[in-house]
Amino acid sequence: MVAASNRRSTLGTLVRRPWLARLLVIAALFVLWEVVARWLVDPLFLSPPSRVIASLDTVFTTRGVPAALQLTLFELMIAFALAVALGLVLGLAIGLQPLVRRSFFPIVLLLYGMPQVTILPLFILFFGIGAASKIAFGVTHGVFPIIVTVVAGVQNLKPILLTSARSMGASRWQIFRYVIFPHMVPSFFAGMRLGMSGVLLGVLLAELYVSIAGIGYFTTLFTQNFDPTKLLGLIGVLAAMAIALNALVRRAEIHFARWRS
Amino acid sequence: MAASEAAIKVRGVFHRFGEEGDQRFVRALADTSLEVAEGELLCLIGPSGCGKSTLLNIIGGLMEPSAGGVEVRGQSVRGPLPRDIAFVFQENSLFPWNTVVENIELGMTFQGVAKSERAARAAEALEAVGLKEFAHHYPAQLSGGMRQRAALARALSLKTPILLMDEPFGALDEQTRMILGEDLSVLLARTRKTIVFVTHSLGEAVFLADRVAVFSARPGSIKQVIAVDEPHPRRPEFVTSAKFTSLRNQLYGLLHDEIRKAVHQSTALGASRPV
Amino acid sequence: MQRHDRGTAVSRLIQAGFLVGLVLIWYLAATRWGVNRLLLPNPVAVYSDLLDILLSGEFVEDLQTTLGELAAAFAISATGGLALGYLISRSRYWIDVLEPLFAAVYAIPIILFLPLFVLFFGLGPASKIALGATISFFPIVINTIAGFGHVDRLLVTAARSMGASDYHLFRYVLLPAASPVILTGLRMGFTTALLSIIGSETLASLAGLGHRIVHLAEAMEMARMFAYIVFVIAIAVTLNAIVSALEARGKRN
Repeated sequence: MVAASNRRSTLGTLVRRPWLARLLVIAALFVLWEVVARWLVDPLFLSPPSRVIASLDTVFTTRGVPAALQLTLFELMIAFALAVALGLVLGLAIGLQPLVRRSFFPIVLLLYGMPQVTILPLFILFFGIGAASKIAFGVTHGVFPIIVTVVAGVQNLKPILLTSARSMGASRWQIFRYVIFPHMVPSFFAGMRLGMSGVLLGVLLAELYVSIAGIGYFTTLFTQNFDPTKLLGLIGVLAAMAIALNALVRRAEIHFARWRS
Repeated sequence: MAASEAAIKVRGVFHRFGEEGDQRFVRALADTSLEVAEGELLCLIGPSGCGKSTLLNIIGGLMEPSAGGVEVRGQSVRGPLPRDIAFVFQENSLFPWNTVVENIELGMTFQGVAKSERAARAAEALEAVGLKEFAHHYPAQLSGGMRQRAALARALSLKTPILLMDEPFGALDEQTRMILGEDLSVLLARTRKTIVFVTHSLGEAVFLADRVAVFSARPGSIKQVIAVDEPHPRRPEFVTSAKFTSLRNQLYGLLHDEIRKAVHQSTALGASRPV
Repeated sequence: MQRHDRGTAVSRLIQAGFLVGLVLIWYLAATRWGVNRLLLPNPVAVYSDLLDILLSGEFVEDLQTTLGELAAAFAISATGGLALGYLISRSRYWIDVLEPLFAAVYAIPIILFLPLFVLFFGLGPASKIALGATISFFPIVINTIAGFGHVDRLLVTAARSMGASDYHLFRYVLLPAASPVILTGLRMGFTTALLSIIGSETLASLAGLGHRIVHLAEAMEMARMFAYIVFVIAIAVTLNAIVSALEARGKRN
């Protein structure tokens, strides 16, 4: 009797708290990983999470890794800032003038849908193996969603709001500053979220491609040395970086888009 | 009525949308003329698509007529006149990212009111429409009726001698309309503004107006103007009086054929141009 | 109507002018303004190399590799995504629990895990297929869950009340109701699979179109590399257009 009601209440707890179930699912996946890596697969190919976490410090003490990580973070932030600035300026330039928009927006959409990874080797040839090429590649990935969302934010302004402002004597600058711009801000922040994903993709792709310097050097090194522990550790750190940056941008979006809801 | 200079003079206004031969060609207004006296409330009433909103926009300088012209207080209208004319629209025209008081102050910023005066004027306007406690609410947090009060407050804060109102209560339910109509009448008695008010509702027109201009179906022109000789503020009992009913019936008689004509027009032409 | 046409004509003119201008600048930069031939090849050379590649059939082997990897990856992710998505969608509870988890994966560019796949599967097609399948799995499973999970309960109740069996329910109610969203998921999965395959061929491979471009870059054969870039972009755009058209066709029915 007691066992049955205990079981029912555990189930009840899980039912009422999906987030708990989610944590359990994630935990179960980790356990699966642990079991498979420890006993079912050659340690040359896969490392269990216990070992990866225990050996994280060796990743950081490998000479050059902290510097490479710092550089990558730096590239991500610069690329994001540039993509946002460029995206905002271009988005406004295209969105505000109907003729410009009709001419250039299709071109923007075309470029947005292009498989940019095809020209990654070109970027490296043009900009070298240093930070510049990573930043540039990150910017080209991040700028397009921002342009598109800024244009949309300018476009879907209700005409009545413009009419109303005009009737009260607003100048063109006032209309931009007090009507168009605040209206566009939530879209802009949504675009920034997509832009951050793009920047992450671009910078990390470029980093992984260059195997003689930066993060790419170490992923190549660990791969060739059949060191899955360090490789998983390094990738884990990068994944954590990605998650953190995305969360930051998401926070900013929620804060600035309050009036939309 | 004093022999004062008319506040608004509409002379021979014609308006068309599109070019002849276009699929979307519409003759909205044909030879419309009228005068609105200082301090008078004139209602424009007519069937859908008859051009009354178009006329309002032309009077307010938001559109240029295809022919003819408008004079407001002696000056020719060539564009918006923010110091003379304030609008209240039917659609929600408050900026959703600003609070009510921010909306009102922004209107004054556009008009050019000195920064030091804005807060006081905004408070005054909010008091007048009964929204003082909701000054810091966002439009999304307000009911439809309250939003229109806020829009009215914004227009009042601009202290323009003329108010143009395009079916401001059109999107609201009957009861809210009634209350707002009564409140508007009280407000007007106090401020003595010149108002042109577009409406679909016969009762609203008779209740609020000093004169009612009845439009014909498209292309719209003024069929007849009826006077409502009743002092402002209008008492709520006016609505049940014999005078009210007789005026309302008069309007109905004038409008009924035009409404039929307008319905026939819109079914014949398909999509009708919003006027 | 006339004014609208005039506006479109002008914008088309501007677009054409812009693109022609770009090509012109490219040509001048490569031939007259002294930009290093090792950086920017002559567009005429690119064009002739492109013709050569197409006519000689040199592209066939690489194209086969890439398309083969794409087909395999998509087959795996589609089957897995559709099946798992359907199973999960049968329980409101599991939808609530798992949907956010799947969506959370988008926070990380999964291509980051390529070195792991290479370590495990080697530099051959297997690692590309595995990564491609993993990446394209997510939009498919998420959309399948959304599609099946948000079918109007009223339709299900009505069908059941008429005596529909599980099979009938699936075939005549769930599938048609869910298919627009699912088709979108499949299209997104295909597009991401293509991108990730080209990407992983660029990063770590011995064959395939992505690898070919890298190889030419390392050999500094600029004109030929540009030609292949144009070719690959054309292939990608065409494939995406076909898939989008299929999606639209499927939705119309």
